[in-house]
Amino acid sequence: MALLTEELKSWIGREARYQAREELGRASIRYFALALGDDNPLYLDDAYAQKAGHRSVIAPPTLICETCQYAHQAPNADGYIGHEWRLPVPNARLIRAGNDYEFMRPLVPSDRISVTWTLENIVEKASSRGGTQLFVSSVARYRDANGELVAVNRETIVYQPLS
Amino acid sequence: MKPGDKLPPLEQTFTTVDLFAYGAATWDWHRMHYDAELVRSKGFAAPVIDGQMYGALFARISMQWAGPRAFVTRMSLRMKSMAFAGDTLRAEGSVSEVNGSVVVLQQRLMNGERVIAECTSSLSLR
Repeated sequence: MALLTEELKSWIGREARYQAREELGRASIRYFALALGDDNPLYLDDAYAQKAGHRSVIAPPTLICETCQYAHQAPNADGYIGHEWRLPVPNARLIRAGNDYEFMRPLVPSDRISVTWTLENIVEKASSRGGTQLFVSSVARYRDANGELVAVNRETIVYQPLS
Repeated sequence: MKPGDKLPPLEQTFTTVDLFAYGAATWDWHRMHYDAELVRSKGFAAPVIDGQMYGALFARISMQWAGPRAFVTRMSLRMKSMAFAGDTLRAEGSVSEVNGSVVVLQQRLMNGERVIAECTSSLSLR
């Protein structure tokens, strides 16, 4: 049976927008660095970061592409609170295939971010496990409070049917 | 910096605490990253490492290596196989190109001989 139904195809092109309710903040930068065991002073020490030409401490590059800041919703059955399309694919598990990140500038604690997700494409491909699986490609564009693009995240998630 | 230069390798055992801490720091409460019971029902033996954590790790290494005046401008991250809580992974990398103030790195994350993730990163040096 084909996984890529006409109904699913109608999801291509959909958008979802999220706006952070507050500035990024130092605590979230420090917490992210701490969780990674990252003691780079660019993320922790204003004087050090200023000597390197920044206004203040900066955020580690990939922090902006994470769920935090935009999540305002109740967790789903799996505990997830971030962006998801909730595509009508019954009994599938989701596996991350890849991300292409572009960072226009480092973020600072005073940045307040909004993001627009676009569902760009859904493709059905043969699986090495037998049968087929769906490759769902999305792009997230992140903007600062002035509307300037600060990062782009192209993401491919595989929906693997569970038998 | 010149093509062929190697980044210092980094070896890390990813404990359930590491996975939980990363999930908490990024507000990713997905049970796949800490809930052994849910993970088993999805057909995996142990909590699954979030693929975005590999990107964060690659960026941690490249930013540390390149110094305070560098910033990552691009990363192309590919997941090759899954890794789980308890796995000891080794990150390695080298310089593939230098174009003026832009340095391109090839990084990979290995579990023994198995490739877990690969990343091509560009850093801008000011």
